[in-house]
Amino acid sequence: MGDFSGADLISDLPQSIIESILTRLPIRDAIRMSILSSKWRYKWTTLTQLVFDEKCVTLTNDGAAVLKSLLNFITRVLFLHQGPIHKFQVWTSYLQSCPDIDQWILFLSRNDIKELALELGEGEWFRVPSCLYKCKKLTRLELFRCELEPPLTFKGFVSLKSLNLHQVLVAPDVIENIICSCPLLESLSLSYFDSLALNIRAPNLKYLYLEGEFKDIWLEDTPLLVDMSVAMYMTDDIAEHFEQSSSCNFVKCLGGVPQLERLSGHIYFSKYLSIGNDPGILPLTYNHLKTIELNQVSFEDMKEILVVLYLITSSPNLVELQISGSSNTPAATDVPDLEFWEKKGPSDCLFKRLKVVKITDMSGVTHEMGFMKFLLGSSPVLEVMSITPCVYVLEAQLNILIELVRFRRASSQAEIVFCSD
Amino acid sequence: MSEVDMPVIKPGMMKPYIWLQTSDGSTQQVEQEVAMFCPAICYEVIQNGMGSSKNYAISLPKRVNPAMLSLILDYCRFHQVPGRSNKERKSFDEKFIRMDTKRLCELTSVADNLQLKPLVDLSSRALARIIEGKNPEEIREIFHLPDDLTEEEKLEPLRNMTDDPRIRLLNRLYAKKRKELKERERLKNVQVEEEHIDERSVDDLLSFINGKNEDLKGVKTSKSKKKNRRRRDEEKNSSLNEASETNGKESNGYDFVSQSPEADGFQHRSGETSNVQDMEDDSFSHRVECDDGDIYDEIDPALKEIIDREVEDFARRLNSDWPERMQEILSAGQERMAMQSTINGTGSLRQHACPDLEHK
Repeated sequence: MGDFSGADLISDLPQSIIESILTRLPIRDAIRMSILSSKWRYKWTTLTQLVFDEKCVTLTNDGAAVLKSLLNFITRVLFLHQGPIHKFQVWTSYLQSCPDIDQWILFLSRNDIKELALELGEGEWFRVPSCLYKCKKLTRLELFRCELEPPLTFKGFVSLKSLNLHQVLVAPDVIENIICSCPLLESLSLSYFDSLALNIRAPNLKYLYLEGEFKDIWLEDTPLLVDMSVAMYMTDDIAEHFEQSSSCNFVKCLGGVPQLERLSGHIYFSKYLSIGNDPGILPLTYNHLKTIELNQVSFEDMKEILVVLYLITSSPNLVELQISGSSNTPAATDVPDLEFWEKKGPSDCLFKRLKVVKITDMSGVTHEMGFMKFLLGSSPVLEVMSITPCVYVLEAQLNILIELVRFRRASSQAEIVFCSD
Repeated sequence: MSEVDMPVIKPGMMKPYIWLQTSDGSTQQVEQEVAMFCPAICYEVIQNGMGSSKNYAISLPKRVNPAMLSLILDYCRFHQVPGRSNKERKSFDEKFIRMDTKRLCELTSVADNLQLKPLVDLSSRALARIIEGKNPEEIREIFHLPDDLTEEEKLEPLRNMTDDPRIRLLNRLYAKKRKELKERERLKNVQVEEEHIDERSVDDLLSFINGKNEDLKGVKTSKSKKKNRRRRDEEKNSSLNEASETNGKESNGYDFVSQSPEADGFQHRSGETSNVQDMEDDSFSHRVECDDGDIYDEIDPALKEIIDREVEDFARRLNSDWPERMQEILSAGQERMAMQSTINGTGSLRQHACPDLEHK
């Protein structure tokens, strides 16, 4: 005791700084600080952020033993803890469904929990207890492999700003209700939902991330949406559903998002958008849309090409465009309309701000080439166009290049980068 | 606002300056845009109209000495320029934060006082990086932390706390008892008169121990004899300052022992316990190194027997009537504390022997 000549450097810093330091340590280290000196004994117990992962316990090959020690560790930490807990996160694949988690959530619901994130590993999904729905102060909820079944009296999370559900079992109308009963919701992320027809009413929503087998996506009330990313997977049911659909998907999905700045579509999104009536008449303009990324666009389907064209011509401030082709769709038997691109002369529209274009997975089909020609001819400030051919069509690469070289460029600064691996 | 001239807001003038006063009383001028990057200074300027001249210099919080201020201003000067890229800022931060730990702690504190949140975050991160992965001794050394927890308290709190609260109290009492015994033994160690009684008790003790544990016979004998001799030598040298200090306390030590209500068992063993202390010393030093759960096994048998009896006593009483017994135990401890202070108000040694009831 006291063989150090200097005065204590750190123990008397204000609690907010101590907490700031302790929250930046892995939780096990933060708790170990309690044996340093008498002042430090209980400093960790008032931390408002508790983040656990598998580094909290010694890992062995025995998953059950690791789970047990993890459960013990977390339970004891909660038991020793004093004061409010604002953030609680357990993010490890070792976590399995068990009654301990129910008790944690009950404890947290009594301690002003604001951010809750639970990731479970493979195994039985965890059925979320009813006490979760009583967490009035919840601002962020992230669940992985859980089941949600709110009681009928559930009126929503009034403070919830961010909702992230990944592989969560929940009835479709329930999820819609949850979304629309959280008035402050700004960020929504739903992944791996099966056959969901989603109707989103969230007046404050800014970020939307959807991934899964969606039958329908209807953004009914999302006027403030800024960033949107959708990856739609296809099953046979959904394909059928698409065939039978009569409404205009484009309008349903992108009709009410005037503030959109970034749009990202994957897999069957462009196909989804193409179904329904031709939106050509509707005067939609996306004044803030700066980045568009559309993947797996089938350039053999005229409808999809029209969707892409419509989108980019309605976005006067577009800066970056990424398109990737899809060589997997069954080739349309229609003869490609070669005149199509001739009709779309450069005078039709100019992409006055378009600077960067990335085109990948090109197979060299007619419409792809036409599209590239069109872009080159209509982008006066283009800086880079990078083209990556599809790996399956090595022979066609030369043809692509030959055609490419002939295209007129509206921008004298434009660089064409052809990436062949 | 105030009626003093305000060069800070007159347009068209030379670069405006703000006056700041540091903890040592000296004042200095700082470019306005640099100083205003600091929310606390900003507040003073805008809300209170301070800083426009030397007489109205903004007096910074007391920990802000000139060296710290210049660091802070370097930070502000770099970051208040709007055109810098994130990468540039990041690399500046990384270089900026490289300093010795003492200055880093000071910087964190000062940045907090001036409400410069980005700098607080940056320095907290740096401190966390210093702490992460180090063992307790290293951390104590870096930050000059006093190692003032008892071994019992150093038991991982996570282990103890799942036990029954009664067992927890027992553990604490255990630890208290051990501490007391240790201190008592140390006291008696330096007393001259004790010598004779000690000699006698060695044999007593040995036979007692031998009865308990045949193996330790030889070892204990030699050790205790060595220790006795050593003690005698030390006294003759009077190198131990405590000898002179505590000579007057011997009688008090006896009084103390006899008057303690719970130490009934100790009276007739008082002589022996001094030798017990030898073994205890060994076992204590052992204990400090060994792993937590084995503590009670390492205590020498004699002491263990004493403690066991005490604990049985406690347990019996606890089981009978919990709250009252709590009171009894706590008040007994307080009485003892009161007694000790009346016996001897001075002397740090004595104070160490006091049961620390608050320190739970």
